[in-house]
Amino acid sequence: MTAWIDGQAVERDAAVAAAAELLAGARSPLVAGLCADAAAVQAAFDLARTVGASVDPAAGAAVYADLGALASVGAMATTPAEARGRADLVLVVGQAPWTAGLVPDLAAGDPVRGRASGRPRTLATLGGTGDGAVRHVAYPAGEAGIPAAIGLLRGLVAGRVAGPHPLADLAARLRDALYGVIVYDPAEIGALGAEMLTGLVKDLNETTRCFALALGDAHQGRTAMQVAAWSTGQGPRVGFGRGRPEHDPWRFDSGRQVAAGEVDAALWLAALPAPLPAWTRTVPSVALLGTPTGSEARIVIAVAVPGETAGAALWHPGRAAIAWHEAGAPAAAAAPDAAAILADLHDRLAAAPMRAPAAPTELSASC
Amino acid sequence: MLTRIAGGRVVDPTAGRDSVSDVWIEDGRIVATPDRGPDRTIDAAGCIVMAGGVEVHSHIAGGNVVLARLLLPELGVSEPDAPNPHGSGRDVGLLYARMGYTTAVEPAMPPVNALATQLELAEIPLLDRGGLCVMGNDDQLLQLLRDRESADAVRDLVALNVATSRALGVKVINAGGADAFKDGAVRFSLDDEVPAYGLTSRQILDGLLDAVEALKVPHPLHVHCSNLGLPGADDSLIETLEAAEGRRIHFAHAQFYAYAALDKDNPLTGGFKSAAPRIAEALARHPNATLDVGQVVFGQTATISLDVLRQFAGRKGASPKKWIVNAGDAEGGGIVPFRYRDRGPTSSLQFAIGLELMLLSPDPERTILTTDHPNGGPFTAYPRILHLLMDKEARDREVAAHPKVAAERSGLAGIEREYTLTEVAQLTRSGPAKLLGLTDRGHLRPGARADIAVYRDQADRTAMFARAHRVIKDGTVIVEDGEVVAWTRGRTLQLSVEADAGMARRTESYLQGRFGAGLSSFTVPDAAFPGRRADEPVFEAVACRT
Repeated sequence: MTAWIDGQAVERDAAVAAAAELLAGARSPLVAGLCADAAAVQAAFDLARTVGASVDPAAGAAVYADLGALASVGAMATTPAEARGRADLVLVVGQAPWTAGLVPDLAAGDPVRGRASGRPRTLATLGGTGDGAVRHVAYPAGEAGIPAAIGLLRGLVAGRVAGPHPLADLAARLRDALYGVIVYDPAEIGALGAEMLTGLVKDLNETTRCFALALGDAHQGRTAMQVAAWSTGQGPRVGFGRGRPEHDPWRFDSGRQVAAGEVDAALWLAALPAPLPAWTRTVPSVALLGTPTGSEARIVIAVAVPGETAGAALWHPGRAAIAWHEAGAPAAAAAPDAAAILADLHDRLAAAPMRAPAAPTELSASC
Repeated sequence: MLTRIAGGRVVDPTAGRDSVSDVWIEDGRIVATPDRGPDRTIDAAGCIVMAGGVEVHSHIAGGNVVLARLLLPELGVSEPDAPNPHGSGRDVGLLYARMGYTTAVEPAMPPVNALATQLELAEIPLLDRGGLCVMGNDDQLLQLLRDRESADAVRDLVALNVATSRALGVKVINAGGADAFKDGAVRFSLDDEVPAYGLTSRQILDGLLDAVEALKVPHPLHVHCSNLGLPGADDSLIETLEAAEGRRIHFAHAQFYAYAALDKDNPLTGGFKSAAPRIAEALARHPNATLDVGQVVFGQTATISLDVLRQFAGRKGASPKKWIVNAGDAEGGGIVPFRYRDRGPTSSLQFAIGLELMLLSPDPERTILTTDHPNGGPFTAYPRILHLLMDKEARDREVAAHPKVAAERSGLAGIEREYTLTEVAQLTRSGPAKLLGLTDRGHLRPGARADIAVYRDQADRTAMFARAHRVIKDGTVIVEDGEVVAWTRGRTLQLSVEADAGMARRTESYLQGRFGAGLSSFTVPDAAFPGRRADEPVFEAVACRT
């Protein structure tokens, strides 16, 4: 089964037609989730532009913590592969990175490239409880929490904190490292924490090299961020209601919009698994899902799972880039790509197609 | 359908043509005057007819262009009816097309980020596009060179990277500089060693120059030299030119190197004056060399560069005071916002030097107009720049409005030359098309792609070039009176180059070891662009030189 209306299995075309009708009748539609490959995210933006929808990816919190810091102070970052090849000190901030695959991966080797090559790699954590299987030096964050501890560390590195301090030793390690890497989860430390961490990293680069390394989010937020940038000139959470893209993280927060009763129809795109918001069952919605049951929304359409049942351009956490993922499973009788369904919806809804009108045979000169 | 563009002043320097006549097009191509009547006539009386403009160096796609938008949300914001050159790909395509440009090349596509760059390029409508594959700081290449592997191995690695990323050519950015930066360096010149490799920048450059020649890549190696923007940077450019030893070489944004140190003993603190005469003279002596200008224009912009060493060194000049420097796999990238102040002595002098460089040019086909968008300012400044090149009086008025140092430390005020329309076409059409090796554009001879710009002949050249009367892409009218009338999607130009199977196997093993992902992860397959119809392919192949 590949399509449902009100929980009843239907032909896919009927579901797409019903979805088009639902969105066509909406005055304030929402396109959300965007947990999908780049082509589907692109198609979602194209559809949103056409129907005047707002757009909000599922990856919200993590993406925003980093985007907020980025727009405030910038960044000084590196990649997982460079960290693995060059870092002589890895500082793991907080708890979240310990549950990602990156930390054991970094703990497994020593630097092999650049000037730190030949040195051992030291692992330290600030405010994390660590992992018993990985040898590391632990520094408590203190009662004020991790962002405050990062601030103290920054003060210590810059020589602005007088007297003995429990983090003084960590500050010295960072200053002495030749290629330090500070791993963090933006969702855990928030925009202010990420901003302070960037400040710490930038200060350290006055005398040595040190770079931040943010964990990617689990819901293709980094793909949505890039597609949003080239499609609208801005980061995500954007609204097309006035015919042009408007970037406003507060106004176009889907949770807020639904709670305020501002949305009269929605499309939820999760070709890859993402937590289903409760509103798909309260707001008239279309859900495009990689693994549907049929009851998630008024209209549900099954789509291919990118990187599994179809080749796809997806965020690759190990490469920190959008990368091609070959299809894994055999594609027999697979559901169509989300991009194809979205393009179909787009074509049905496009009021003014982006095609040339028939050229007149005589064009006047007005020069 | 046979179309006649009738009665315009047709300017095509490649055919020695500057006369009122017709241009005929059929099936998307320019044809010789046929012996039958047209199905359609486009009246161009009172207009200038040129080939579509060709851009060789403009940062319009890629990870760093994305980051620049996220760093400076205020710069890329969309306003009603005001497309923004720092904004979406759609705005970029519209703004180029409106000026009569029909092809644009993104010069900095790192192979590790090729897929996202290509996805973004494909979303720039109206234009044909291309990307240059950046090499010169990647560990695989540096290892090959350090281990003194054969020139064939270097050639094969370059071919593999070009083929995998579907690039149009090859660029090198401060060869070895990004690697040196990661090891703590803040200065780096042609004969400095990359610390961990014991290789000089010169050796890396040499290897890449040879590889590009051996592969017969139509576009010469596109070189971003060391020491960009520093007093004395003219020495870097001239040394690099000499190092090419007659091999074809293109210098990106030469204006940023045309700074002669005033105090040779203290170059970094003594200020600078124009080195435009020195560079123009060197260009005259080296027919193997070309340059694009990187003209500075005034206002807020973001500088975007893979030269992380120079971007890091320039971070304290950021305005507003926020910046990005990423140590990536190979180069990474740096974004430093900058405001070129029209009353600022340094910006004014840079502005004067760029114009001087073009006006002293021994051959406008080899001194291409760029602003290194957005580094010197947005590409939308081209009409004004062309106006100043064509009009000595307007230039004098402009110079008079800036601090005196611009006139004192450059030769601009003393130059009488006014560019002709033929020279403008060389600077913006035939020159860049020849440089990219695109024989099907940049001219109006039979067989050329029907990419044509029709401008009203106005004394106000800024107005004339800012909003073309009509723009035709592949035979379709896409712009009328500055407004887009057909949102065609263009194609991305990629070089046809075969990758060596042996090098592919070696690279697969290298990539797996480094990234835990092999070559297929780095590819740019057609399947990544499912939104395109079969009869509207994203890519078009460009042949190597024979």
